Amino acid sequence: MSDRLVDARWLEPPEPMELTLAALETLEPGGRVRLLIHREPYLLFPILEEWGYAYQIHSGDDGTYEILIRHKEQAAP
Amino acid sequence: MTPQNSLSLDQAPPIGVPLRFFVTAPLFAVTAALLALWQGADLFGSRWSPAMLGITHLLTLGYLGLIMLGAILQMLPVVAGTPVRRPVPVAGAIHVLATGGIALLCYGLIFTAPLALKIALPLLGTALLSFAALVFLTLRRALPQNMTARAMRLAVLMLAATVLLGLVLLSNHAFGWWLQAREALAELHLTWGLLGWVGLLIAGVAFQVVPMFQLTPAYPVRLTRRLVPALFILLLALAAASRFPEFQLALKILLAAGFAVFALTTLQLQAKRRRKLSDVSLDLWRGGLIGLLSAVALWLAAQLVPAIGELQGYGMLLGVLMIVGFAMSIINGMLYKIVPFLVWFHLQGRRGANGTTVPNVREILPESRSRPQMRLHFAALAVLLAAVLVPAVFAYPAALLFAVSNFWLWLNIVAAGRTYRRVAARSGEAAAG
Repeated sequence: MSDRLVDARWLEPPEPMELTLAALETLEPGGRVRLLIHREPYLLFPILEEWGYAYQIHSGDDGTYEILIRHKEQAAP
Repeated sequence: MTPQNSLSLDQAPPIGVPLRFFVTAPLFAVTAALLALWQGADLFGSRWSPAMLGITHLLTLGYLGLIMLGAILQMLPVVAGTPVRRPVPVAGAIHVLATGGIALLCYGLIFTAPLALKIALPLLGTALLSFAALVFLTLRRALPQNMTARAMRLAVLMLAATVLLGLVLLSNHAFGWWLQAREALAELHLTWGLLGWVGLLIAGVAFQVVPMFQLTPAYPVRLTRRLVPALFILLLALAAASRFPEFQLALKILLAAGFAVFALTTLQLQAKRRRKLSDVSLDLWRGGLIGLLSAVALWLAAQLVPAIGELQGYGMLLGVLMIVGFAMSIINGMLYKIVPFLVWFHLQGRRGANGTTVPNVREILPESRSRPQMRLHFAALAVLLAAVLVPAVFAYPAALLFAVSNFWLWLNIVAAGRTYRRVAARSGEAAAG
């Protein structure tokens, strides 16, 4: 299953969150959203928790972040 | 920000906490404008006249103060990394005491009513000093590398000092006792208020919000670490140096240089922003920073050419540039980011997954509403500056423009608040249905 890419680098808040949540709404079961962003989206995490998503954070050397998001029941242990 | 101080939706104070401050504040500016209309050209005679003192406090406490209080109460849990306990009653009490205190203070100053001043004294003292204590103590828990938290703590110390000086001056006014150092204390009160509380707070908040919302490169780390504490020490030293005019002048030159560095750095970062889209909030920030630089330039010119400092209206020009040009422009610009963001954020929090559609920030506060208000604000500023120099011609148009600009701002905030209520009611129905 391919990842849905949300490239939110250098978008003004809250556009990255708007795009991410919109992508999640149409996410197929088993699918993932791959969010690229220029800063740590700390306001997104509590919403993901509340909506039942699991996420992994990877920080790049260039200061950008990659966040992988999927439904909680499919999250890797 | 790190995950440790991320803010869960439950921890964020309800939107009503900051919004009640934001909705009240422009009304104080409208009142100031109406009073200026009533006073006409006479108002610009002296900055120490009762009417001018009242109008100044309507702007500094009523407009700037209330918005800064509301914004800090909103940001406090985020910056400190922990929620503030019982935010609704705390904000309610501070708001009611402050609003009542400001109204009575300004009424008492303008109409020379000692009773109103006597009642304003404990109201303002309680509201502002307990607010300063709350912020100072809550931010003990902030991470040490959080420069905005540190700047906020220093700014509220300056607020407390400004309020204490203000209370001394006010009690002198209300009870009529003899105060030898009155003029020196008044000078320190306004310097600490404008440069300490307002200036340090704007600088500290800018370090975080300018890169985040305007997508600029980050501020130089050395500047974010050193500028605000250095300005704070200079402001304190100003009081200690009151008997040594030459030393005091050197301190003031350093202060002016510090604020100029802040303004120039910010303008430079804004010129390097990643996406060059038009943005009302950014334009208000830029106008505000140019206002600050103009004030610094005017003050420096007066030091070099004493005749400028002796001009009728010099002090008032500085005041208009600092209060309306610098602080009000930036605070107005901040409101245009904070209000739609909060409305959007709280609606997003209410709707849950797959709930009703939430309007985006541009729909919540469209540029078609904010841009004309910004133009009016800058027009009012220009005509106000002209009114200081030629009051007979410009006093009425300045007051009129200022009234319309601030009424429009009020309408814009109220409209965003109504959008919140409308969409929140709809998502409530959806959840119930």
